[in-house]
Formats: sequence, C-alpha cells, structure tokens
Amino acid sequence: MSALGPAIAAETLAADAVIVGAEIAAGHDGSAELVLQIQYENGVVAPVVLDQDTGLELMRACGAASLPGLIGRSWREIFARTPLKEH
Amino acid sequence: MYDILIKGGLVVDGSGAPGYAADVAVKDGRIAGIGPDLAGEARRVVQASGRVVAPGFIDPHTHFDVQLLWDGAARPALEHGITSIVPGNCSLSLAPLRAGDRKALIGMFQQIEELPPEAFTQAFEWTWEDFAGYRTALEKNLSINVAPLVGHSVIRIWVMGAEAQQRAARPDEIAAMQVLLRECLEAGAVGLSTSFVDVDENARPVPSRFAQFAELDALCAVLGEFGRMLQIVPEFYDTDITIARIDQLAELSLKHNIPTTFSPVFDSHLTPNNAPRTLARVAEQFARGARVWPQMQTRPIDISFSLLRPSLFFARFPSWLKVLRLPLGERIAALSDPATIDRLVADTGPDEGVQAMGYLIVRGGDQAPASTVGRTLGEIADERGETPARTLINLSVEHGLDIAFLAANRGHDLTERIGPMLANPLVHIGASDGGAHIASFATYGDTGYLFSEFVRKAGVLTLEGAVKKITSETAEIWGLKDRGTLREGLAADIVVFDPDTIARGEERPVFDMPGDGLRYIRDSVGVDTVVVNGEVAWSKGEYSGSRSGAICGLN
Repeated sequence: MSALGPAIAAETLAADAVIVGAEIAAGHDGSAELVLQIQYENGVVAPVVLDQDTGLELMRACGAASLPGLIGRSWREIFARTPLKEH
Repeated sequence: MYDILIKGGLVVDGSGAPGYAADVAVKDGRIAGIGPDLAGEARRVVQASGRVVAPGFIDPHTHFDVQLLWDGAARPALEHGITSIVPGNCSLSLAPLRAGDRKALIGMFQQIEELPPEAFTQAFEWTWEDFAGYRTALEKNLSINVAPLVGHSVIRIWVMGAEAQQRAARPDEIAAMQVLLRECLEAGAVGLSTSFVDVDENARPVPSRFAQFAELDALCAVLGEFGRMLQIVPEFYDTDITIARIDQLAELSLKHNIPTTFSPVFDSHLTPNNAPRTLARVAEQFARGARVWPQMQTRPIDISFSLLRPSLFFARFPSWLKVLRLPLGERIAALSDPATIDRLVADTGPDEGVQAMGYLIVRGGDQAPASTVGRTLGEIADERGETPARTLINLSVEHGLDIAFLAANRGHDLTERIGPMLANPLVHIGASDGGAHIASFATYGDTGYLFSEFVRKAGVLTLEGAVKKITSETAEIWGLKDRGTLREGLAADIVVFDPDTIARGEERPVFDMPGDGLRYIRDSVGVDTVVVNGEVAWSKGEYSGSRSGAICGLN
C-alpha cells in the first residue's frame, strides 16, 4: 500500500478530512490497533482501523505523543507523510 | 459386543432437534445404535447421566499443520471436544513443498503460528514433497480427524519458485497450478486457502497476494470439479474491501458451484456498523444462490503486550511511547531512572494507574515469576506496596522487560451484539485460529465459551442450536462425509459433556513446544469424554494415546 503521491499538496487537502476520534482496540493477533474516526469534507464520520505498526508509525510521523494529540489533525496530511508498510 | 456403550445421557444429535434420553452404542468405529436402554454388552461403558452426548465438534479454521506432526491430538483442542479440524488456512500448508523451498515456508509459518525454530528442525522429519506424502506422514500419528486445506501460497512456490513472491503468474504457470491443485484434491485436500493480508517474517506479502483474479478463477475451476471449498482471508480491517471480496467470492461460488468461506469477522463498539454491513452483504449474496460463509469466533479479543517493544496500549499516556521507542539498553536505563518513572507514573492519573492498569493480568513471558502469573497488576501492586503503574515498570525491569501483560476483552466482547450474529443461520462459527499466535494468546476453548457465554449466560442459542452450529452445519458446509451428526452408521465422533459447566479454562502459559517453547493454552472445563472414530481419545483429564484419527472423507 502506498501513501498519497507527492503531487498532492497536503495543504490543499488539510481541511478535507480531520481526525475527530482516536481509540485503542484489540487486534486479531493480540496486538493493539488504532481506531481513528475521520470526519470527511461532506460531514460523514467513518472509522479507519490501523494495525499496531502502522498506528505507531502514524503517531510518530505526526509527532503525537498520545491519542489526544491526533484529534483535529488533517488525516490526508498525516496520511501523505506516513510511510505505510505492506499490511 | 459393542466397543463402547454410552448410557443414560441426553442425546443432542447435531440436527438441532430437541435432545432426548438415550444410550449410544459404538462398534467398529461407527455408531451402532441409539435408543433407550440399549441391550448388549460393551468393552467399555461410559456413564453419561446428567451429561449431553453430542457429535464431536468441528473446528474449521486452524493452523495445527506443524504441531500435528508430533502431536496428533492437536492438544489441547481434542480435550475441548473437538474431533475434527481444518488446518492449512490462510494460503499456507506444509505441502506440496519441495525440499529446497522449506526455509521460505518456515518463515511464513513462524510469522503466523509463532512456533519456535526447533519445531521445524527437531520435532519431526520432513519425509514428503507432494500432498499425498504429507497426508501419509500425518496419518501415522493422528488422534483427531483432519480435513486439510492446501495453501495457495505453496502452490505458487512449487510452480514459480522465488518469483511466486514477486509477480503475477503467466498462463502456463496458472495451468501448472491447476494440475497441481487437482493432484492435491485427489489426495484428500478439502479445498484451497488463500490470503489477501498475510505477510512473511520480513513483512513481505505472502505469495498468494501476488495472484491476479484470473489465477484465482482458474484454481476455482479446479475446485469446481470436486465441489470443494475456497477459504480466504480478506482485508478484514476495511469493511468496504471486505464487501468487495464477498462479491468476488460470490461470483466464484456461482460460476464454479463451490462453497467459499472467509474470516475473520469481528465486532467492535468502535466500529459498530462493520460486522452488520458485512453480514448484510453475505445475506444478499446467499439470496442470489452463492455460498459465502463468514466465519466468526466466539471468544473476545485481548490486547497482549510487554515493554520489550512499543505497544499502542500506551498511546493514551503522553510520555510512554517515547520511552518505549528507545533502544533496549536505553529503554531499560530510562525505566530504571526515578525521575523518568515518576513522569511515566504521573501520566497514568492521580491514582497512579489503579484505574488505567490495575485490571491488567500478568500472563507470562519467559521471565515471569510463577507467583505473578494469572493475577492482576492491582493485586500484585498491593502485595508489593506499590501502585499498579510503578509495579508494571518495576516488575518488567526486574525481569529484563520480558513480562507479558494482558488487557482482557478489548474487542469482539459485546455478547448482546455478538450472540445474535452467531445465531444467524448464515454465520459459520469458526475462526478459532487454533495452533496459531501461540506465544501471544490461547486459541483453544472457543467451543466451551460458546456454551458458557451464549447458551447458559445470554440464552441467545439453545443447547441444541449451539451443538448444531459446530457439528452438522460445519460438516455440511465443508462436505465432511459421515460426520457432524449422531446417527446409526455414521462415524463415531462423540463428545460427552456437562451442559451446566462446559466452559473454557483460564488462560495459562506452558512450555511444551519443541525446545521448551512457550505457548498459552486453556484447559477444558465440563468435558468428560471424547471419542474419535469409535475409540476413547480423551477421558476425564487423560489422553488415551489412541491413534484413531483419520483424514476426513469428503462428500
């Protein structure tokens, strides 16, 4: 899985999708997963589930020390600079 | 003379019909009679008063492939009443496999099963390359029945070598895979498994993930010649993609007239629409005539972690992840520094982790003192005169950070939601993953939990309905011949259990893997006797050593 290409300007999309919730849940392999609630530009709120490694990498990429640090962040901006691994 | 006479039990025959009082007689591996007060002598009499006499349970999603080679009972699955298992899931099986490709496959198996290296180098001798040879090796030692899937990834490796994990197949390679799959099915494989999510030990996609649809379609055409199963692991973390896979499976099912199944399907209060949306699409496809069976496990999911590596469990506490990301030596030093400890502890709240961590259970790890295993961090902290957050840190540092903790029931845990889903006629109870993730959590006892949680506690399933779900329904879905029902003439796979107490035992660490490797298990509770093909395989806490298990015949 690849991140959004560099041709997409993160600033342009920053207001499009925002993280409005972040919780920890159990993954099927016994590790913790990061469950984000993303509010899209049309107002729809939908979950995105990230496995532990991806979730940790995302938090590192956006400099969030804990879950509250993710709230209000641009999802697309974070997504664009998070080097997601193959699942 | 009968071989076994089970007297005075409540016969729940797997059909879903109300239980009835009767004796069950067994002879020559088959059920010889069912009726009240059966006359005739028997070599062994099992008193079943107050007990249920049911068909042996069938577990359709396991990874016991390797363990079966030194433990033909797939312990402890058998003692939970499971008499038939399906290994070879998720695209991985031990055959067909050339000797030169073993190393690559071992890495993939270790990633999923978490078996120690000794399991592959000391516990058995590789005597096969083709599927028939693997079957022969298995059959020497079985106490449990086995309906093995053949893995798509190993079929690709056989045909394409290392390029199986690099590219799509050419038409001639697809044709070769078809020939190979046909050989496996003729040798007794119950179907084909594939995966769209699994990775190897280096986080590289397993070979099946490089297949294009035309390849899967061609292989399903071969499955269609036999009417056998396609099992897949879809991108279960994304419901929209899972629904697309359901549609894909439906097309394959209809085109080739095959059953298909996918797993896992989890429910979570954080994503409450996901499982219902998935099951709604399944219902739509069944209405079209497709067979797309979603597998759902009964047990809740736990979070397991230690301080040996960062865990998202600590993402709620601002200072923890930064410390846990340090190299091991620096991490231990930081976790030994009083000022750092004070900061970490303060993050867990004014009660220093009583609410946030006191419920955690010390579950093991190679270095965990026996006196701590199975107890809550709150209890241990009280005993040490500390708060839970300090105990988590101090106990870990005292043992090289190799202490595993458990946050129980953190997903798939809402009985009021999951119960009706399990009772749904289109939901296939399975996905136990038995024999996988062995160093992370116990994958045994899901059948006991079905009865304790969803029959006795929630009442969402009747006793007869629950038995049917994990016996005759499973046998029918998978095409297992003569199994899953108590009826005269069928295979004598029988479990005798106490309906008032059957459950799963507490999770506990054991070191019974090759090389004294760690795994977590659960003992059975309330199961009296397990009969496999007419021989008592387990009774009242003891394995009999019988070798009556077999490769399952197929319809």
